[in-house]
Amino acid sequence: MAVRRRTSIPNQTAAPPNPDPGGDPQPPNAAPSPDEFSLAPPKLGLILSVLALFLIPFFYLLFVHYQIESDLRYYISICVALSLVGFGFTVGLIPVAARYLLRRNMFGYDINKRGTPQGEVKVPETLGIVTAIVFLVVAIVLQLCTLTADSDWLVEYNAALACICFMTLLGFVDDVLDVPWRVKLVLPFFASLPLMMAYAGHTSIIIPKPLVPYVGLSVLDLGLIYKFYMILLVIFCTNSINIHAGLNGLEVGQTVVISFAVLIHNLMQIGASTDIDYKQAHAFSIYIMWPLLTTSLGLLAFNWYPSSVFVGDTYTYFAGMSLAVIGILGHFSETLLLFFLPQVLNFLYSCPQLFGFVPCPRHRLPRFDTQTGLLTGTKDMNLVNLFLRLFGRCTEKSLCIRLLIFQALSCLMCFGLRYILAGWYK
Amino acid sequence: MVVRRRQSIPHQTVRSCELTLEAPKLGLILSILAMFLVPFFYLLFVRYPMEIEIHLRLSILVCVAISLCGFVASALLIPVAARYLLRRNLFGHDLNKKGTPQGTTKVPEALGIVTGIVFLVVAISIQLAVSFLQYNLTADSDWLVEYNAALACICFMILLGFVDDVLDVPWSVKLVLPFFAALPLVTAYAGHTSIIIPKHLVPFVGLSVLDLGLIYKVYMIMLVVFCTNSINIHAGINGLEVGQTVVISVAILIFNLIQIGASTDPDYKQAHVFSIYIMLPLLTTSLGLLAFNWYPSSIFVGDTYTYFAGMAMAVVGILGHFSETLLLFFLPQVLNFLYSCPQLFGIVPCPRHRLPRFDPQTGLLIGTSDMNLVNLFLRLFGQCTEKSLCIRLLIFQVFSCLLCFGLRSILAGWYK
Repeated sequence: MAVRRRTSIPNQTAAPPNPDPGGDPQPPNAAPSPDEFSLAPPKLGLILSVLALFLIPFFYLLFVHYQIESDLRYYISICVALSLVGFGFTVGLIPVAARYLLRRNMFGYDINKRGTPQGEVKVPETLGIVTAIVFLVVAIVLQLCTLTADSDWLVEYNAALACICFMTLLGFVDDVLDVPWRVKLVLPFFASLPLMMAYAGHTSIIIPKPLVPYVGLSVLDLGLIYKFYMILLVIFCTNSINIHAGLNGLEVGQTVVISFAVLIHNLMQIGASTDIDYKQAHAFSIYIMWPLLTTSLGLLAFNWYPSSVFVGDTYTYFAGMSLAVIGILGHFSETLLLFFLPQVLNFLYSCPQLFGFVPCPRHRLPRFDTQTGLLTGTKDMNLVNLFLRLFGRCTEKSLCIRLLIFQALSCLMCFGLRYILAGWYK
Repeated sequence: MVVRRRQSIPHQTVRSCELTLEAPKLGLILSILAMFLVPFFYLLFVRYPMEIEIHLRLSILVCVAISLCGFVASALLIPVAARYLLRRNLFGHDLNKKGTPQGTTKVPEALGIVTGIVFLVVAISIQLAVSFLQYNLTADSDWLVEYNAALACICFMILLGFVDDVLDVPWSVKLVLPFFAALPLVTAYAGHTSIIIPKHLVPFVGLSVLDLGLIYKVYMIMLVVFCTNSINIHAGINGLEVGQTVVISVAILIFNLIQIGASTDPDYKQAHVFSIYIMLPLLTTSLGLLAFNWYPSSIFVGDTYTYFAGMAMAVVGILGHFSETLLLFFLPQVLNFLYSCPQLFGIVPCPRHRLPRFDPQTGLLIGTSDMNLVNLFLRLFGQCTEKSLCIRLLIFQVFSCLLCFGLRSILAGWYK
């Protein structure tokens, strides 16, 4: 059900050992020796332009548009600086890690290029581990720089780190061992437990004004149910990114778009508010989103079409957990879900196949036509195929761009909605 | 220098369905568990009934119960994980059995990942249970910070250890991994960075308490790097890595209980209670691993385990403010490290594995001239089987811990 582009599992599921060389993902000739392997150069031009496109509005809001306290500006600038260092490290480490991963047979074949020479190339898998480890180091160093040992936020920051780290661990174990999908589904539950422990914030929700007469309260304390909601949010965010995947650059691309939207939202909330705690919640989110954004951009430099590395479940779970964590700790999970609109739609649309009402193949990928080089939509019920059916065949790159534009438009719409509804329901 | 028993060749495909592990040595393990629980409960309920408040005792009981669940979970999950690990070519050959049929068996590697993950789930569950039941009334947010930082450190170390086992990173990278994993603790550590100067030196130093500040944080990092790597190099015999961890953690747990019983300071007690919350799951999940790893090993533990165990113990030593005691418990590891230094630093030639020589005819190990405790014991006490050698080394570990208890009791009035 999770769209895997990987066919690298030596003995898939419980099938007896497959003697058929055509289906054997590991050709009899030995894995390429590490010295012969070299990745295609990263698409730095594209990535640095994207980065510049982000930095300009961000710094405009931070320094020009809003009057934000100078120490908060200072810390946020340090955060950006350290995150950019993280970007450099990610780009530097990915080729190194790719060699080691390939040597350990962690690779896959690009199913969307099957039939062309590129479909024969062994693409290193699970490079999300580099992104996640650099992220963790940057986030930890950032904590050293911005928080003192007796800060209230230290509990939640450490809980967030523990969750993200545990999720990365479980995701990496999944990529290495290829655990059954039922286990895959519940991994995020275990990884979210430190957050349950540390969450000392409000478990109450604000009832939308029009509904207050019916409910009888303006604020409803959900208590344990809210914690249950937190767990569901984590499981949703991680798995929804995992299933909205399958095209070169889609997983990382959607994360980049969403995290950028979250960052702008954070800045706007800091600028518009006077409540110290509220500002701190959003600053905290910035301290986690910036490293996520820059390390993901480092990964995208290699993963954008045509992908020279694959990201693995390690990345999608890590990214989903990071986003869910800051949505919870920053108390803006409804906004987060609005940013996740394409993922929500994809999940809802996929439900019949996920729950087995409609037959569900191993990969729900489009069909690749080697003659034209275009992807054609199948009947599979996900956004990838839906876009192909609605808007016609196109190349993998265009399809990915279309889906990312949809993501960006959803986020813009969300900003618009909040603006319109702000007076109406809160 | 790091004793690796792995010679995994990437292009070998493995028929995963054929793997069945030997039955775990539950009789042995359960006896050890019982032998530990008896003095532990004696101290908890009989020796210090008044000194340990009822709510603390209840929280420790909850911790024991959940940790025992962790033991069962480890023992159940290891065979499952071993199949998956073998399928992904994470295996080694037992170098100490080379030349016998057992030397050609593919032994699944890196099973420390099971121990690590079960430990994390158990440790989090303990904290959730204790706080939900409100048994630990003196725990407040200062302790939560340190507890969460501890979990983050241990988790990060397990991650880095497992990445190392899978990718086989160069040893220079291996050495510094614990440094990164220790950083959350360094940030969160809000405790004393001062040391008490031994009474006799006070006239010379001029102070009775010296605040080391940043130097103490550097010391913390060095302690972490030391604990993790020292267990890693005092290895190579079936059951040695897990065995030494079990012995040291039992010693720490007994020490924690004695300190809780003997103290009246709530903060001090809290420090040792948190150490128990981390050491009990370490002990039980390690025993689950030892059930399969004891001689003859049907699984290997990997760097994942040694780094995880070293980090867990360093963390409790730091948070519990008993790092000097911890180093005394680590005496064999310290001696092994010091003795190994010439080879580690290249002054004396250092082979890939510094293991003894195995004689297939007699089935005994013979000490080489390598400079580590494993070979030293063989040279001093003569050839013996691998199992006896491991038992001898573990007895040495036990004696060191007992010596440490004795020393503290003698010196307690003298230097503090």
